[in-house]
Amino acid sequence: MWSSEQRQRLAVEHQILQREGFDQFSVYHHPSGDTYSASGIASSSSGRRYHLYIPIPPQYPFQRPPLYVTDPDPLRLFNGSPVSSLGVSHAMHTLTPHGAGWPQICHWRDARWHSNILLQKVFLKAHIWLEAYEQHLATGRSLADFVPTMAETA
Amino acid sequence: MSTSDPQQQQMIREAMKSIAERRPGRTKLVYDKTKRTIVAVAEGAQAPRALNITADDADMFAALTLSTAWLRDHWDNLTRDGHTPLSLSSWDDGDALTHAALGVIPAASSATGCITLDPAFQLPQGTAIAIVLQPGDGEKPDAATFTCPDGTAYRTTAWRQDGNTRLPLDVCFADVQPELATRRSGILETTVLKDKTVVVIGLGTGGGHAAIELAKCGVGKFILIDRDRLSVGNVVRHPGGISQVGRFKVNVIRDLILEKNPDAKVSTHPVAVDYDNQGDIRELINQADVVVCGTDSRPSKLLVNQLCVEAGVVAVYGGAFRRAYGGQILRVRPKDSACHQCFVAAMPDKASDVEVSTAADAEGIAYSDQPVAIEPGLSLDVLPIANMVAKLALLELLADRDSSLNILKRDFAAPWYLWLNRPEPGTEYASWPPLSESIDEMTIHRWYGIELPRDEECSVCGNFLAALAENYGLNVDSLPNLPVSQGKDR
Repeated sequence: MWSSEQRQRLAVEHQILQREGFDQFSVYHHPSGDTYSASGIASSSSGRRYHLYIPIPPQYPFQRPPLYVTDPDPLRLFNGSPVSSLGVSHAMHTLTPHGAGWPQICHWRDARWHSNILLQKVFLKAHIWLEAYEQHLATGRSLADFVPTMAETA
Repeated sequence: MSTSDPQQQQMIREAMKSIAERRPGRTKLVYDKTKRTIVAVAEGAQAPRALNITADDADMFAALTLSTAWLRDHWDNLTRDGHTPLSLSSWDDGDALTHAALGVIPAASSATGCITLDPAFQLPQGTAIAIVLQPGDGEKPDAATFTCPDGTAYRTTAWRQDGNTRLPLDVCFADVQPELATRRSGILETTVLKDKTVVVIGLGTGGGHAAIELAKCGVGKFILIDRDRLSVGNVVRHPGGISQVGRFKVNVIRDLILEKNPDAKVSTHPVAVDYDNQGDIRELINQADVVVCGTDSRPSKLLVNQLCVEAGVVAVYGGAFRRAYGGQILRVRPKDSACHQCFVAAMPDKASDVEVSTAADAEGIAYSDQPVAIEPGLSLDVLPIANMVAKLALLELLADRDSSLNILKRDFAAPWYLWLNRPEPGTEYASWPPLSESIDEMTIHRWYGIELPRDEECSVCGNFLAALAENYGLNVDSLPNLPVSQGKDR
């Protein structure tokens, strides 16, 4: 199922995470189903901790990997309702939630993703999203007020 | 001068032949208002109280066009049975009857005809058109002459049976492929494209038009891929018309291709261009000499790019900017020029400026709480881009052939082409000078070929992984194993 190039790429990306200050995240291999994921704990500047989870899609890196916040579960909005209840939202920069109810952060949408982008950049964007999310919790304003539409840079 | 005058009879005969053949003759027909009859006079003669009679005035019979190739194929049946039925499309209230075997798109009404070698043959019940072939008497062949497989020339007469009345029809045989080839032969070697295969992905306004243009050039094999059906909103731009609404676009374009090149082989694939279908798409691309990609979404373009680079097939990507204020084309020669991934990585803003012409396009870039407006451009503004796509594809198809068009290689050496229909406010082109005032500066309505270097470290056509590893001091051949997770997949 996975090509040798894909396996090599994931191994390189894991090493980049470890060497470039992102060693709170790892790329994992799941031998039982021969699948891959990337995950770890992101800490915000306020000290709050969030578990981030990326199931690696079978066509990675040509397919965009989704990024979910799996803990706290549920992740709540300022008004107490789950973030995932918004579905695809420009105001909160979220995409279709996971079947388990975890919100999906919009790092790159399908229409902007390409295969030069690294998981390191995806986790970096997740950190930015979490900072904006905490501003939303503090003020009630939408996340889009704090994060301009994430520019396409890679 | 009376109609029994042999000289006058001869002049009338000559004048009528000239009119029938729509060529100037030595005599012409006029209606003499004094004699209240038609007379023939010498061409150039003054006829003060006369009305000239033109070929259009004399054009009084409906036209019946028959397929030469079909009749050749059915000749054995005809000689064995004495007659053979055939279907005719009836156009314009019966003014034109066209053999259905000539094309794929029938008229709204049809007529049944019967072709026979027996002048005394009685038409079967329900058959309206009689066509009779009789051996010629050695006269010069004309449009109504059919030469059978053994070389015998037959004169053809035809009529519509209306009760006891026979309404004559003008017969014309059409030998489609040689006639089409003759029209192309001035500039394009007629057979060089017959065995070439073009895969067209995305049969919207641009892709559909490019496919039809390539069919007109004589491309012989097409593979069409698009999952969409033609909608009412499409028809102001799309080659398909209102009577085709609801059909898959691949089928609409197939029929239009066959209307232009009846011998073309066209296969249609109404499937999405996505990773679920990549195996099938790969197989189709592997058959291509050139791929024309007219899809608007980046994921589909990048998938096509990945598969074309993998297969070593040249691809031409065309697209309009928003509201078609302009457009761009990227021609990718795998491993030789920049691929679409190189382009996207080097010019992300340029690559993201796309026309939003359908609800599906809008959904691809919109959030549910902030929809993106559908803003299609005019067909008029898309077609220059589609024409250029077809031209670039044509040059690729001719690249390994001896063709006079290869003189254009030097003009179309650049991989990336830019076209502006208008100086769209809010864009970097807004300040371009007026077309009428500029000679040296860039303006609208001119093509610009732009150099775009290939990215040697591209993740599709380059050595991305090796370069990435080197940048981080890693050796790809001795990387530690990834951590293994035996627990939940998260």
